[in-house]
Amino acid sequence: MKTRRAFLKQLGLSTAVLPFVSNLSSLAVSGTESLRKQRLVIMFSPNGTVPWDFWPDEEGEQFTLKPILEPLRDFQNRMLVLKGVCDKVRGDGDNHMRGMGCLLTGIELYPGNIQGGSDTPAGWASGISIDQEIAAWLQSKEETRTRFGSLEFGVMVPDRADTWTRMSYLGGNKPVAPIDDPYQMFRKLYGKKAEREQLVSILDDVELDLKKLSGIVSRGDRQLLEEHTTFVREMEQRLKSEPQETGHPVPSLEPGVSEENDNIPQIAKMQLDLMVNSFVNDFARVATFQITNSVGQPKMRWLGIDEGHHELSHEPDENKEAHAKLTKINTWYAEQLAYLTRRLAETPEPGGQGSLLDNTLILWGNELGQGNSHTLNNIPFVMVGNGLDFRMGRSLQYPKVPHNRLLVALAHGFGHHIESFGNPEFCKDGVLTGLV
Amino acid sequence: MRLKSGLTLNASGMVHAETGLVFPKPDRSAAGLRYWHLCFAMYASCILNLADTVAGSAAVVAPAAEASAVDSPVDRPNGKEIYAARCASCHGENGEGSPAVPQPLFGDRPTVDLADVISRTMPDGNPEECVGEDAGAVAEYMQQAFYSPEAQARLHPPRIELSRLTVSQYRNALADLSAGFRWFARPSTSRGLKAEYYSSRNNRRDRRVFEQIDRQVNFQFGAFSPDGEKISEEEFSVRWQGSLIVQESGSYEFILQTENAGRLYVNDPANPLIDAWVRSGSDTEFRGRRYLLAGRIYPIVLEWFKFKEATASVQLLWKPPHRQQECIPSRNLTPEPSPRLLIVETPFPPDDRSSGYERGNFVSREWDDATTNAAIEAADKMLELLPSLIRAGDDGRRRSRANRSDAENAQKPAEDDENEKIRILAAEFSERAFRRPLTDDQRTRYIDRQFESTADPKEALRRVILLTLKSPLFLYREPEQKNDAFDRASVLSFALLNSIPDKSLFEAAGSGKLETDKQLRDQAWRLMADPRAQSRLKEFLRSWMNLDHLHEIDKDKTAFPDFTADIASDMRTSLELLLDKVTTSENASLNELLTTDLTFLNGRLGQFYGVSISNEADFEEVRFEPDQRSGIISHPFLLSGFSYQRASSPIHRGVFVFRGVLGRALKPPPVAVAPAAPDLAPDLTTRERVHLQTSPEMCANCHRMINGLGFSLENFDAVGRYRETEQRKQVDAQGSYLTRTGELAQFSGAKELAEFLASSDETRRGVSRQLFHFMVQQPVMAYGPETLNELSQFLSQHQDNLKHLMVEIACRAATGQGTQTSEAENGASGVVEPLTESP
Repeated sequence: MKTRRAFLKQLGLSTAVLPFVSNLSSLAVSGTESLRKQRLVIMFSPNGTVPWDFWPDEEGEQFTLKPILEPLRDFQNRMLVLKGVCDKVRGDGDNHMRGMGCLLTGIELYPGNIQGGSDTPAGWASGISIDQEIAAWLQSKEETRTRFGSLEFGVMVPDRADTWTRMSYLGGNKPVAPIDDPYQMFRKLYGKKAEREQLVSILDDVELDLKKLSGIVSRGDRQLLEEHTTFVREMEQRLKSEPQETGHPVPSLEPGVSEENDNIPQIAKMQLDLMVNSFVNDFARVATFQITNSVGQPKMRWLGIDEGHHELSHEPDENKEAHAKLTKINTWYAEQLAYLTRRLAETPEPGGQGSLLDNTLILWGNELGQGNSHTLNNIPFVMVGNGLDFRMGRSLQYPKVPHNRLLVALAHGFGHHIESFGNPEFCKDGVLTGLV
Repeated sequence: MRLKSGLTLNASGMVHAETGLVFPKPDRSAAGLRYWHLCFAMYASCILNLADTVAGSAAVVAPAAEASAVDSPVDRPNGKEIYAARCASCHGENGEGSPAVPQPLFGDRPTVDLADVISRTMPDGNPEECVGEDAGAVAEYMQQAFYSPEAQARLHPPRIELSRLTVSQYRNALADLSAGFRWFARPSTSRGLKAEYYSSRNNRRDRRVFEQIDRQVNFQFGAFSPDGEKISEEEFSVRWQGSLIVQESGSYEFILQTENAGRLYVNDPANPLIDAWVRSGSDTEFRGRRYLLAGRIYPIVLEWFKFKEATASVQLLWKPPHRQQECIPSRNLTPEPSPRLLIVETPFPPDDRSSGYERGNFVSREWDDATTNAAIEAADKMLELLPSLIRAGDDGRRRSRANRSDAENAQKPAEDDENEKIRILAAEFSERAFRRPLTDDQRTRYIDRQFESTADPKEALRRVILLTLKSPLFLYREPEQKNDAFDRASVLSFALLNSIPDKSLFEAAGSGKLETDKQLRDQAWRLMADPRAQSRLKEFLRSWMNLDHLHEIDKDKTAFPDFTADIASDMRTSLELLLDKVTTSENASLNELLTTDLTFLNGRLGQFYGVSISNEADFEEVRFEPDQRSGIISHPFLLSGFSYQRASSPIHRGVFVFRGVLGRALKPPPVAVAPAAPDLAPDLTTRERVHLQTSPEMCANCHRMINGLGFSLENFDAVGRYRETEQRKQVDAQGSYLTRTGELAQFSGAKELAEFLASSDETRRGVSRQLFHFMVQQPVMAYGPETLNELSQFLSQHQDNLKHLMVEIACRAATGQGTQTSEAENGASGVVEPLTESP
C-alpha cells in the first residue's frame, strides 16, 4: 500500500489544493483516515473516443493533456489516465452491447433476442455490476449505510429498456434503470420533505373547514368531525416536529426543462447538481451518471454539430472534419466531468475534513475504445478525485489488461477484498497494479 | 298512508287510529326536539298499555299475536306485568339486559316461537312457572315493547348519520375525477382484442401484414409463422390492443408466458406493467400486478415478437381476485380503446361492516394517514395525466366556443394561456370533488391562494389537489346537509354508481333540472344504464350471498380426488356468469336468480358433474339437472362453499338461506362447537348427525330455525353433486321454515325450497333492506317506518326487478325523507334491526 505521506506528497505538487492538504494532514496524523467517507461515481459517455486527441503521449507523472482532456487541466494532479485497459468479455451480442452490458459487470451477456448490427443476438448481462456490488458492500455495514446506497442518474436515456441502455445491474437479468428526469430524481431525493411542507401549508384550511362544518351538523355528528380534527392536528404537529432529514437546504430546480435533445446541457447540469447535493446530504456513496446510451445519438447543436454522435463515430479516421466534430463532442463530455469535479472540489465535506472531491473517486468510461472500429480495447478510462487511496496525477499505460482487474481494484479501494469480479478468467493476474 | 301498528301519517305527524293521539313530526329547533321526545315517551307508553287492553291493536305490531288474541281482555294474562315481575330483573326493563344476563333481547322471531322458548326455558331453572297463555302473553308484550325490529326502531329512533366516503367510494370518486375531464369508455358488444401481425420484429408499419380480432391471446405457433406465405418463421411480431373489462374490484395479477419477448401495458400506456422485451436467459413467465375497480374498462396493449428462437408461443393470463390463474377470457376483452383511469392504490383500513353493510361511520388516525397518502398519490398521477386533461379541456372549450357568439369568445382570450388552463382545471377538480360549485370563500382559499403561492402552475395544481382531497367537503357525504339539488345529485350517484355525480348529473343539478320526481327518475335510469351500476348490483348480490366469506374452497383429496383449485375457480366463474346474466338483462329478476334452471358450465365442470359437453368448451349455458336444481340455491359454488371438506353442511347452507336470502336475524351461537366428525358416527347420515348434535335446548333454540332450510339441500354432497343416498340410506331432503308470521312452510328438495323463497315476501323484504343499506349506507328505518314495507311491495309490483328497486331506493334516498337529527341530541346511538345482517 502506498503510504499516506507519499499520497500527500503527490498532492502537494498542486498549489490549488494547499488548504485541503493541511486539513488532510491532520487526519493522517490522527490515524482516523479509515473512517472517512468514500464515494464512487461512474460516468458514462458513448461511442468510443478519438484516440489521438485523448491519450497523452507520455507515461508517468509528467504528461501533457490532449484536447479532449483539456477541460480537466485544473485537476491534472488529481487524475489518472489508464491506457491499455480492455474489455475482453466475448460471447453473444455485438460490441456496442457487450461494451455497455459488460463495462461494469465484466461478465458475458445471456443469450437473447436483442440483435445488434453484427454478431449474435443477446439478452441482459449475467451478473452484478461493480457499482451495485460496492453499494451493497457499503449498505451491509452500519457505519457506511446510507438512505439509498446508490443513485443512478441519466441524461436523455431513451425510454426503452435494452442491452444498450443499461449498464448497472443488481444481478444477472436485473438491470437498473437510470433516472434521466431531474424532476423525478428530485422527487426521489426530496419528495418527502417537499410533500411535508405542502401538507403543513394546507392543513390550516382543512381545520377551518372542519370547524365550519361542526357548526352546521348535529351534536351526534359533531363528535365525528371533532375526532377527525384531532387527527389533523396530530398530523400537523408530527409534520412540524419530525426531525429534518438534513440541515442542508433542498436545491431548487429550474422549472419546466423538458426532456429533449437540445436541453441536454441543462439536464446534465441539473443532474450533477442533484448528485453533489445528495452527497452533501449523504443519501448515497455510489452514483452512476449515464449520458444517453450505448450507440447514443445526441445531436450537439449547441456546439454547432447537427449530426448524431453515433452516426459521426462511424466515419473513417481519414474524415478529418468528422473527427474534429467527434473531438468537440468528447471534449463536451469531459467538460461535464470537469463540472462535477469542480463542484465536488468546491464543496466542503460535511462533518469531515477537506472537500467532497477528497473523498470521491470518479471513473469515466465508455462502451468502446473507438467508434469506427468498434474496438473494445483501450477503453478511454479516466479517474479523478481522491476517494480511494490511488496515487493520482499520472498517465498510466498497461499491456492490454482485462478491465475486470480495474473493477476489482475499485472494490479493494473500498476495503472490499474480492478476488475476482465478473468472469474470473479475466482476473487471474489479480487486482490491477500500479494504482496505489 | 296506513302504518302497520294502526297508525296513519298526516301533515302534523303520526296519528293513532283508535285513540286519536298525535305523535307530531319534530321541528329542528332544540325545543322542538325536546317536545318530540316527550311526546314520543308518552305515546309509546300509551301504545304499550293499549296493547294489553285493546284487542287487535297489539296484533298489528306483532302479527303472530293475531292468532292468540282473545276476545276478553279481562281473562287474558297481563304480559307486561308478568315480564316486570319475572323477567325484568335479569333481562332489564326493556330487554336491554343486566350484569347477570348481558345479552340484550331483540330479534325477528315470530311470537309463537318466542312463546315456545319461554315455555320451555324460562324463567331460568323453573320453566314450568311460565307456560301456555302466560308465556304467550309475555312473548306478545316483548314483541311489541322492545323485541321486534319495529319496536327497537321506536325505542332507538334511527337517524341519518354524518358519514365519510367509504373506501370504495373514495377510490371510485378519484377514478371519476380524472376520467370526468375526458371521455368515458363504454365496452361495445364486440369481444377480444384487435391484433396486428407484422413480418418484422418491431411492429414496423410498412411490414404490417394483416389485422384481425383475436378472442384471446393464446397461441402456440411452434416452429411456424402465423402466415406461411407472407411472414417468415424467423422473425415476426404481433401487437394486441383494446380494453380490459373488469367486473370485480381487487388486485389482479397478469402473467405473460412466452419463450419469445413481449411488453404488457395495463391502464398506463407509458409504463409497461411487464417488460420482457429483452429475452435473456431462460425465463418464460413474467408477472405484474394492478389494482382495478369493478364496472370499468382499462386500456391494455400487448406487444410481442419472435426473433430467431426455435419456436414461438404467447399466452396472456390473469389471476382475478378469488380465482385461479386463467387465460384472460374473451368476455373480459374488447377491441375498443379506452382512456387511462386514475386508480389510487394506497391501502386504507377497512370500513366498518358491523351492521352488515360498509359504511363510513368512523375516523381513525390510520384512515386520516391513508387519506394523506392517497391524496399525494392522486396528485402525482393527476400531474402525469395533465397533458391529456389539458387537451380534453381544449376540446371541451372548442365545442362550447362554437356555441357562443364571437363577442363572447373575444372576452375569453385568457383560456389559451397554459397557466390559466391549469387554473380552470384546478377549480373544476375541486368543484367536482365537492359535488357543488365553490363559494367565493372556497375559491379564494382553495384555488386563488394556491396559485398565488407559487410561480409554477403545476405546483399550484398539486396543492389544490392535496387540499381538496384532504378537505372534509370532499371526504364527507353531503356534509353541509343542504338537501338541495346538488345533495340530491350526490346521493343519487353514490347510491347507483358508488361515486361522484358525472358531468351531466352535476350540470342538471346546477341548472334546475333535478327538481321534479320525473327529472330525478330520468337521471336515475340514465345512471342505471351505466356498466358501473350493473356492476354495483352484482357486487350487492355477491354480498347478499355472502361470497366474501368463500375464498378458497378446498376438499378432501381422498373423498374427492378430482376436485381441484381450478374446479373451485370454475365454479365461482359459473356463478359470476349467472349474476352477469341477471344483472345485464332488463328484467334483472330476483325470481330468475332463485328459480332459473340454467347453469353456466365449461368443459372441465361438465366433466366433473358428468354433463356431456366438450372437454375443451368455454362456459356455455346448459340446463343442468333441471329436475333437481334451481337457481343460486343449488348452484355448485354455493353448495360446495357451504360444506365441509368431506361432508355437506346443512347448518352453513341453512344459515346462508336464513340470514342471506331471507334476511333474518341470527345471534352467534352461545358456545363454540366443533362439528361432529363423520367418523365418530359412521352409520349416521349428515342429517342425522347434525340433528343429534344440535338437539340440546341451548342449540335447538336457533337451529330449529336454520337446520330445516339446510336439510332441504341434502341431495347435494360436499362438492355439489346430486345424490339420492348417503351411507346406503335414502337421503331425506324434507325441510321446513317457521315464517316471521308464525306459519310453518314445508318443502322437499332444492326446487321446492327455491319456489318457497321466490314466493315469500320475507325474501323481498330481506333483499329490499339489504339493498337499501348497501346503496345508501344509512339505516332504512331512518327514512320512515313504512319505507321497508313499501320497497318490498314495490319489488313485488315490479316483477321482482332489482333494477327498478335500485332506482326506487336511489330516488327515495335522494329526496331524503329521513331524519338527520333526533337521537343525537339525546346522546343515544341509533340501533336498527340489530344483528340482522351481521356475518
